[in-house]
Amino acid sequence: MHRKTSALAALAASALVLAGCSQADAGPAATESATADAAPASITLYTSEPQEKIDQIVAAFNERRPEITVEVFRAGTGDLNARIESERATGEVQADVLLAADAPTFEGFAADGLLLELDTADVDALDPAVVDPEGFYVGTRIIPTVIAYNTDVVDAPPASWQELTDPAYADRLVMPNPDVSGAAAFNAAVWLDEAELGEAWLTALAANEPVIVDSNGPTSQAIASGAQPVGVVVDYLVRDLAAAGSPIAVSYPSEGVPFVSQPAGVFASTDEADAAQAFVDFLVSVEGQTIAVEQAYLPVRGDVGTPEGAPAMSDIALLNPDLEVIAATKADAVATFNELFQ
Amino acid sequence: MSSSSRTASPGPGRTVGPFGAPQRPDRKVGPFGALQRPDRTVGPFGAPQRPDRTVGPFGAPQRPDRTVGPFGAPPRPDRKVGPGGALQRPDRKVGPFGARQRQLARRPDGLDLVRVAAWLAVAAVVLLPFGSMILLAGTEHLATLVDGDVVEAGRNSLVSALASAAGAVLVGTALALVLERTDIPGRRALRLLALSPMLVPPFVGAIAWVGLAGPASPINRWWRERFGEPLWSVYGADGVIMLLIVHSYPIAMLIVTAALRRVPADLEQAARIAGASAPRALLTVTVPLLRGALLSSFTLTAVSNLADFGIPSILGTPERFTTLATLVYRYVQSGTVDDPLGVVATIGVVLLAVALLAVALDLTAGRRRVELDASASRAEPLPLGRWRRLVATLAWIVVLAITLLPLLALLEQSLLPAPGVPLTPDTITTASIERALTASGTIAGATTSLWLAGLAAVLCGGLGLVIGTLVTRTRARDNRALHTLAIMPQAIPGLVIAVAWLVIAPRLGLFNTPWLILAAYVTSFLALVVQSVHAPLSATPLTAEEAARASGASRMRALRDVSLRMAAPAAIGGAVLVALTAVRELTLSALLLSPGSQTLGVVIFGLQQGGGPNAAAALSLIVTVVGLAGLSLAVPKSRR
Repeated sequence: MHRKTSALAALAASALVLAGCSQADAGPAATESATADAAPASITLYTSEPQEKIDQIVAAFNERRPEITVEVFRAGTGDLNARIESERATGEVQADVLLAADAPTFEGFAADGLLLELDTADVDALDPAVVDPEGFYVGTRIIPTVIAYNTDVVDAPPASWQELTDPAYADRLVMPNPDVSGAAAFNAAVWLDEAELGEAWLTALAANEPVIVDSNGPTSQAIASGAQPVGVVVDYLVRDLAAAGSPIAVSYPSEGVPFVSQPAGVFASTDEADAAQAFVDFLVSVEGQTIAVEQAYLPVRGDVGTPEGAPAMSDIALLNPDLEVIAATKADAVATFNELFQ
Repeated sequence: MSSSSRTASPGPGRTVGPFGAPQRPDRKVGPFGALQRPDRTVGPFGAPQRPDRTVGPFGAPQRPDRTVGPFGAPPRPDRKVGPGGALQRPDRKVGPFGARQRQLARRPDGLDLVRVAAWLAVAAVVLLPFGSMILLAGTEHLATLVDGDVVEAGRNSLVSALASAAGAVLVGTALALVLERTDIPGRRALRLLALSPMLVPPFVGAIAWVGLAGPASPINRWWRERFGEPLWSVYGADGVIMLLIVHSYPIAMLIVTAALRRVPADLEQAARIAGASAPRALLTVTVPLLRGALLSSFTLTAVSNLADFGIPSILGTPERFTTLATLVYRYVQSGTVDDPLGVVATIGVVLLAVALLAVALDLTAGRRRVELDASASRAEPLPLGRWRRLVATLAWIVVLAITLLPLLALLEQSLLPAPGVPLTPDTITTASIERALTASGTIAGATTSLWLAGLAAVLCGGLGLVIGTLVTRTRARDNRALHTLAIMPQAIPGLVIAVAWLVIAPRLGLFNTPWLILAAYVTSFLALVVQSVHAPLSATPLTAEEAARASGASRMRALRDVSLRMAAPAAIGGAVLVALTAVRELTLSALLLSPGSQTLGVVIFGLQQGGGPNAAAALSLIVTVVGLAGLSLAVPKSRR
């Protein structure tokens, strides 16, 4: 016991020292970094990326462009929406770059005239499905929603969305709440829009009474802990947990998977359009996408491979619905979902 | 309450004593012209008072249930009896010995200034955000809301808030009585353990309980195999109410404990002398005197549970148990409404109405006041005798079950690398603890949270002390309004308060500064101090202040030297509550942080959401353990 507490104390102390060092390192580096060829700039990024991941990305970006300071505000998509709405109510949006959510959300901002038209470098190398034809935003990761299962409990995982309606899975399913998770709301609209799934499939799924939890994080944990051994969740969380040792694996359903693309866009009110554009360019560059793959995300370009344990991009069937239809039907889809899953 | 403020000074510059002798400001003259000595309070016939006994005018011990008039006549609540038994007439002020004083227009004094300052502060931290919320809200959203189950959510909110507040007051009072007034072993450890739920962020507590009593928890699985049905699932209304009780009873316990320490021991002694058994004396003499504290803590826990988001969102969602707080998030999160701010603000106004109901209950019930004098002597602990072991066992089982089990669940998760890994000697690792401590933001978040919580505690402590004292120790028409306004924000979910502050921040130049979070903290947590002060002081009669006034102190002086000093310990207790709540606060800072900064709650939540549940558990555990260590220093030892 005594040894353990002193170990903990040592740990805490070393963490403090580390934090002190890193700050000390950051100090002079940041001030002396303004290179001759570029004026220093500071941009504010609003994102829903997990803190650890966005910190890695910003650090890599600063190795390339040390003169650009990136201030990160990280929050859930809903909190970001609330903050952006509040800022709009009293003036202009305080962020330069937004990296969050899904294409319909950005379509909404673009329709309100909030976004700047991008001129993204190397845009032809990207998957055309994630690039806005009007150029207001560009997808930065492919985040499909998949079937995940607990490998300790389930031997033969379901291989299709249809299989989830098998009564054998009654009381053993878990999924995120479309009222809270933007991705789940998007998925509900896509499923209802698919001819071979639609409301009949959703009704059959509801008959199995899945447990509806808040968001994707708790969903993946419920599957990993075996509380509900099968569930519907975004794929990168499953790879994260599996890498940490959880008994959890992904099954890509044969009908195809709905995906959100975590787009990046630049607000029209920005004073640092060039620096903001440089950051967006970095996100979809080979280097930025290599980091994404290391962080267990599926990339938006074909020349950086896929994360460990994931199939090649060509082997994953993605559902590509008409995004305008999805944006128009999302609210009704969530209402339908709520009625069915009461 | 009828007003009978004391004598007005008969003229500027001179105060005339009882025999017309000019008073000298440097000397205080007692009723017969005897110089008062500041170190002694002199009774009506010059007998020195003993602080440990409250003695009536002829040495008769006072009975708490009766305030005895000057000649032993029981007072009639409908009549105020002046000195000498002369009826006071509200239209006339009667001076000492019944001399009629001429009514003089009172000039504003220091007390009025204090009152104005308190109102200005409340206007800044309460009226300002509420105003912006009401401006954002519009009647056009009411239609959306009526469609959107707002009625059902409102009913769920009210039921869960009232039921959990009743439960919290019951549990908190029982624990306060057992820990304060009996001789069970291990009181100090028990008290600290019992306070630990305060330090665990509610959403973390809810997740720990899902592991303990969710539908797939080991207990429920085993039970289902035996009997076909799970024993009890934490999901749903009953689970939400239970967790709200677990996370709010420490507030009730602290408030009742503070009030309990102010109940004079001699009342129980008198009851014992009259032949009552010790338990009977405790239950029939002391407990009724706690009514003010019970009401204060009931109101406070009811309004705070009305606004809680973490617990209903985690435990209510799977069973479709929606409260107004989770409804607010639904409208903002899903992006399916056109004007989310307007809808959120409208729900905020609806919640204000619901909270007003709860507070109105408190204020109408609180009209009948029990008054008792302060006493410095400590009550004897109740010797439990042969029941000692049984009561101790019960208390320990209850406290351990509701505090240690979730902490153990957190500990188990902290020692594992990922969810779903079985706990064996081979799998135990410090990786999650390391990740928690080295996660970007942990150190910065802890620093930010600590100084924000400290400042919020100081500000809320000072402002809450003044407001709590004004509304309990002075008589004024605006007291009730001031009191209500100060505790209302507790009922508004963090998201709504945060949005309200966000909308006004740019105009105040507070945008993207930590001061914005501090302002929101003061708005949200002021009620904790106001209610902590209100609880013990509402039951203490104004005799001490009146004595000070009769001895020539100005109203301001009486407030400063008597009332505020009396209230200070309770305010400090309330400030500790504020600090504990603010350190682990999530929803306000999630929205109000400036880019690049962090608070502890946000770091924990980020780990939880970003695929590091074990690191989140480890960090929560560390915060709880450090907090308990700090608390063991802060919580006063019982004086025995």
